[in-house]
Amino acid sequence: MTRWNRALRGALLTSALALVTAAQAQPAGTLTISSPQDPGSWDPIDTFLVNWSAVANNIFDGLVARTPDLKIIPGLATEWTISDDGLTYTFKLREGVTFHNGEPFNADAVKYTFDRLLGEEGAKGPQQSNYNAIDSVNVVDEKTVELKLSRPDPVLLTKLAGYGAMIVPPAYIAEKGDEYFNTHPVGTGPFTMTSYTARDAVELKAYDKFWGDKAKLENVTFRFITEPSTALAELQSGRVDMVIPPSVPIGSIPTIEADSKLEIVSTPGATVYSLRFNTRDGITADPRVRKALIMAVDRATINDAILAGQAKPIVSFQSEQTFGNDPSLEAIPFDTAGAQKLLDEAGVKPGTTLQIDVRGNDSTFNEVAQAVASYLSTVGITATIKPYETNVLLNDIIPAGRTGAMWQQAWGAWTFDYDNTAYLMYHKGERWNPYGDDPKLDALLESQRGMTNAQEREKVLQEIARYVADQALEMPLYNLNQIYAINKRVKNFIAPPDSRLRLTDVTVE
Amino acid sequence: MSLIADRPHSRWAVFRSFELVAGLVLVGGIGLAVILSPWLFPDNGMGVNLLARLRAPFSDWSHILGTDPLGRDVLGRVVAGGRISLLVGVASVAGGAAIGVFMGLVSGFYRGVWDMIVMRFADVQLALPFILLAITFIAILGGGLFNIIMLMIVSQWVQYARLVRGQVLALREREFVLSARSFGVSNFNLIWHHLLPNLLGPVIVLITLNVATNILLESSLTFLGLGVDPSTPSWGGMLADGRTYLQTAWWVSVFPGLAILLTVLGLNLLGDWLRDRLDPTGRTRQ
Repeated sequence: MTRWNRALRGALLTSALALVTAAQAQPAGTLTISSPQDPGSWDPIDTFLVNWSAVANNIFDGLVARTPDLKIIPGLATEWTISDDGLTYTFKLREGVTFHNGEPFNADAVKYTFDRLLGEEGAKGPQQSNYNAIDSVNVVDEKTVELKLSRPDPVLLTKLAGYGAMIVPPAYIAEKGDEYFNTHPVGTGPFTMTSYTARDAVELKAYDKFWGDKAKLENVTFRFITEPSTALAELQSGRVDMVIPPSVPIGSIPTIEADSKLEIVSTPGATVYSLRFNTRDGITADPRVRKALIMAVDRATINDAILAGQAKPIVSFQSEQTFGNDPSLEAIPFDTAGAQKLLDEAGVKPGTTLQIDVRGNDSTFNEVAQAVASYLSTVGITATIKPYETNVLLNDIIPAGRTGAMWQQAWGAWTFDYDNTAYLMYHKGERWNPYGDDPKLDALLESQRGMTNAQEREKVLQEIARYVADQALEMPLYNLNQIYAINKRVKNFIAPPDSRLRLTDVTVE
Repeated sequence: MSLIADRPHSRWAVFRSFELVAGLVLVGGIGLAVILSPWLFPDNGMGVNLLARLRAPFSDWSHILGTDPLGRDVLGRVVAGGRISLLVGVASVAGGAAIGVFMGLVSGFYRGVWDMIVMRFADVQLALPFILLAITFIAILGGGLFNIIMLMIVSQWVQYARLVRGQVLALREREFVLSARSFGVSNFNLIWHHLLPNLLGPVIVLITLNVATNILLESSLTFLGLGVDPSTPSWGGMLADGRTYLQTAWWVSVFPGLAILLTVLGLNLLGDWLRDRLDPTGRTRQ
């Protein structure tokens, strides 16, 4: 009897132990996330979208990585040195890393990635200009790589943690082609992409040979739900566990907070909103008119009333944490009479109409735009609001210079460096600058890119911000928190300030 | 006795019809409010007051139906939005009916090649799904009030044309038409004095019902973001704006929804009553 008992106990203990280890080692559960936007291509060099990163940050790795509290930590490189002149970066690469297709990760993959980014293929996408300080990439040995720069780039290390610098598999792309890679991405990250249905969903599965701490979730599904109210209805009904920015309208926060199964996680981020002006045509070609339009709008009240404490007012197109932000820069004051005077001076007649282009599915910004329109009516400007589908506005309308007099620009400078915003917004020929052509501004923007002295560089960045404010190139509005609406069954989720989710540690009940 | 009792007692007897009275009250009331709205709500429901956002209804006499997320008066917006809805409804139906009746008369009366062209064109047009037509139209020409009205005219004249053509085909062989023709009455007079008055009944019924349909269409298109500009108050736009707030501030979308419901209901009741009166096939059903 005793012997039986002992045997039974032993068996039970073993199986219990097995269960415990299984629970620790085996990824389990499915997390379903609603994302407002399908980036269309998963190739790192093709994108500039925050919502690309929300997915792709789980598939790809950079040489370095960045934590949610913005620290740079080793990624695919275990250590690195930067030469004193800031022109040579040497990376020691991690051993035993494989891509999801089994291809080994090595120095050749790094060289291939950057050659591709900086070459012909990269020139077609929006990422190249972020990295063109890199002159060449040299393979020192199998596990050592050297990046040679043509000029110092103080933000390079941060930029190596994401987007265009994500390391891609050379043999896979050579074999399958770029087109195939766009929809079947392969990286070294903790999750592999198992299926992608355009405009519908992406399915990820834990990668069992991941080099670091393996993912605790077995599956992650991202569903592309463009309509915020649909996304929230799915969250409330439990078919979605998390709604990521910028989908949660401020107006729906009380609804979510009132639901005992759900919660709001909100963290200050880099996403800033402005209404930019068509500086080439129409009445907004005149800086006095632009300034008048800014003066006519009570941005502080809009902030307090509509954004309900989830945003901070901005004076230039960057957040407080961004390098280059100048706390002493003063906002153009709210002054209806002054605005009216400037408009009269510029010869703008009462009843003049202008068009504001917005993203149709951003209901918070739609309210903001309507409030702006109503303020503009106080100085005799009739503003009409034209909603576009997000991708149409971003891909067809803005870059082609087909906007109205004003358009919504939302921007998340994920590097938290003003260069990443200013250069792309104001330098001639950049995608986000369809109208501007100002040699003085271009020279300023170029000059700071080569500076190694952080203080000097910060001064130039601040000067750029002042110049932009002076020229009234945009109506700066606010820096919005990153707002996540999540089901409480999701555990260990730390909201990143840049929407670049890394779901390794997240579990679901 | 029973014969006398069945006869109408006075000219007011028609108001015994529930449909007519309810329809008139609803449509008349809303129509009156919309016509008087420039005096009742001088700011057209556009007055933003960010300090008075989302006031609940019946809590404040200056905003009886509460305020929306931008502090605009919901009642004022509902009434001002009615202007857009009724304008779209009436203008699109007027345009569609005018074109459709003309086309129907011509093709029914003269037949021949013209008839074939118009009717084949009508067949094609009826086979096009409305939303497809709407999205294409708006993608090419843009949204806005005028374009929405044009879109509805383009998509709806066909109904009138077919209805009228059918009537004309039946009427043109009737004795009174044939005899008028034998007296040498001109084609124009024949159409104008003999055909048109006799086919207006069903057209009027169709018009009434179509005004209701078009108000719903305008609301749906604006709700989808294809209609009038979001800063102009309109019922569909208000519904769309209020979606986010449905669980915390129901009044933002419920009142415009109610306005659509009551208007469409009123128009449909009127249409039903008119059908009973004017449509011969309807009369036989009584």
